[in-house]
Amino acid sequence: MTSLSFELTIGILKIFSFVVPVLVSVALLVYLERKVLGAVQLRKGPNVVGPFGILQSFADVLKLLTKENLLPSSSNKFLFIFAPMLTLILSLIAWAVIPISSTYVIANINIGILYLFAVSSFGVYGVIIAGWASNSKYPFLGALRSAAQMISYEVSIGFVIITVLICVGSLNLIDIVESQKSMWFAIPLLPMFVIFIISALAETNRLPFDLPEDEATLVAGFFTEYSSISFGLFFLAEYANMILMSSLTVILFLGGWYPPIDIFPLNAIPGIFWFVIKVFLILFVFLWVRATFPRYRYDQLMRLGWKIFLPFTLIWVVITSAFLFYFGLLPN
Amino acid sequence: MFLVGSFFLFAAFLITTCIFVIFSKNPVNSVLFLVLAFLNSTFLFILIGAEFVGIILAIVYIGAVAILFLFVVMMLDIQITTLMFNIKRYIPLALLFAGIILAEIIYLTVFKTSKDNLDTFIRSKNNTEQIGDVLYTEYFIDFQLSGIVLLLAMIGAIVLTHVYRPTIKRQNIESQNSTTAQDRVKLVKIKSGEGIKDD
Repeated sequence: MTSLSFELTIGILKIFSFVVPVLVSVALLVYLERKVLGAVQLRKGPNVVGPFGILQSFADVLKLLTKENLLPSSSNKFLFIFAPMLTLILSLIAWAVIPISSTYVIANINIGILYLFAVSSFGVYGVIIAGWASNSKYPFLGALRSAAQMISYEVSIGFVIITVLICVGSLNLIDIVESQKSMWFAIPLLPMFVIFIISALAETNRLPFDLPEDEATLVAGFFTEYSSISFGLFFLAEYANMILMSSLTVILFLGGWYPPIDIFPLNAIPGIFWFVIKVFLILFVFLWVRATFPRYRYDQLMRLGWKIFLPFTLIWVVITSAFLFYFGLLPN
Repeated sequence: MFLVGSFFLFAAFLITTCIFVIFSKNPVNSVLFLVLAFLNSTFLFILIGAEFVGIILAIVYIGAVAILFLFVVMMLDIQITTLMFNIKRYIPLALLFAGIILAEIIYLTVFKTSKDNLDTFIRSKNNTEQIGDVLYTEYFIDFQLSGIVLLLAMIGAIVLTHVYRPTIKRQNIESQNSTTAQDRVKLVKIKSGEGIKDD
């Protein structure tokens, strides 16, 4: 009995060791985003609360917590409150299988990548339930747009993942990273790497694909009716999802916890350091894209997903498998 | 003990959610309970060690099919009373399908295989590898045929629902992208006192 409770305690501590850093990095990511946008637009960004304004996001969270949580009178109350909770839960449970070093992972399961794909495809429920339960025009339109958008880009994400899996021969995330020890997949699979990052932008509803919350046409999209902490949960989930998709990119294409070159001073540094620094590089790309590109029109978005990415990734799967087959490079 | 307990837990949840799918008044709630039912069957698959099948069920049915259901059902403006009236019409059909599925289950569990066989088969190897081993070799024809059936269904759905409307305006992306500044703007040098000649 004691060993069971001991294991349970260790498990809970392990979960906290993932969730707490993720939530803190969300706050720092919001700060980083505002600083990057400020730098791109020749402004200073937040610089009042704390040194260099680093405590700004924590102040914002406290402000959100003290506000009143409004429930629209015609909404479906249970689903209205449930939607932001679901979104945040889904963005956090995915961390159960993310390996941040060759040994440190909560659950090392055989089908880790499929689990991640499943959880990220459930993400659309939070948005669509929120839009429907609000019982209001703009949230509903935002939810419909988002459902169509996320399903469309999942297809190309699926094919990109298949290409990587063909090269690895395993669905286990640790195996995927370990097969990149000599060369990161971002080099031989460069087009798929680019497509994956663009699809990740669409999947997390980030600019230039943030049509579900397009403020010029839809007020704030699916969370128009949300206020206070329920809005805060959506906000938290969006940024947690960004970090998650960045970690997935790092695991699939940028060699996870491995240093760029396997030589002495670089491989002496702990793997977690490389993992975090790569995740932050990808996150910086997310913010950089936001500051640089204008928002897509909805038909352009759909055309990009179905008429360009889908055929391209499909053909690339065939090319990659044919290449590996004819040169005898298929794993096992 | 733990496995048996979790089986009964998830099975009970599965049956409860299925009952709610049928009897909840709001069709959107029905679809959401259907999602829960799919989720519970995923858990059941994982419990018997078929984690690949379970997670594929989750990706395909929860991640795509049920979302499309929800997508359609949300946009319908359904009067709940007419819906409850209509449900009685489908009872004979539903009973027919339920009977067929029950007969299949009885056939498979009682006459076909013994459970021990299945268990050792599942646990002998990583089940993703097992499916990969047989899917493209032993069951190649079946796999391709089911692919063709799905393709036909897809084309059929498109043919049935797609109506080409010549009256609406469309974007011509290629011409938009190939347009240069010279096609749109012309720099004209105007002599003072003459103005632009309209040509």
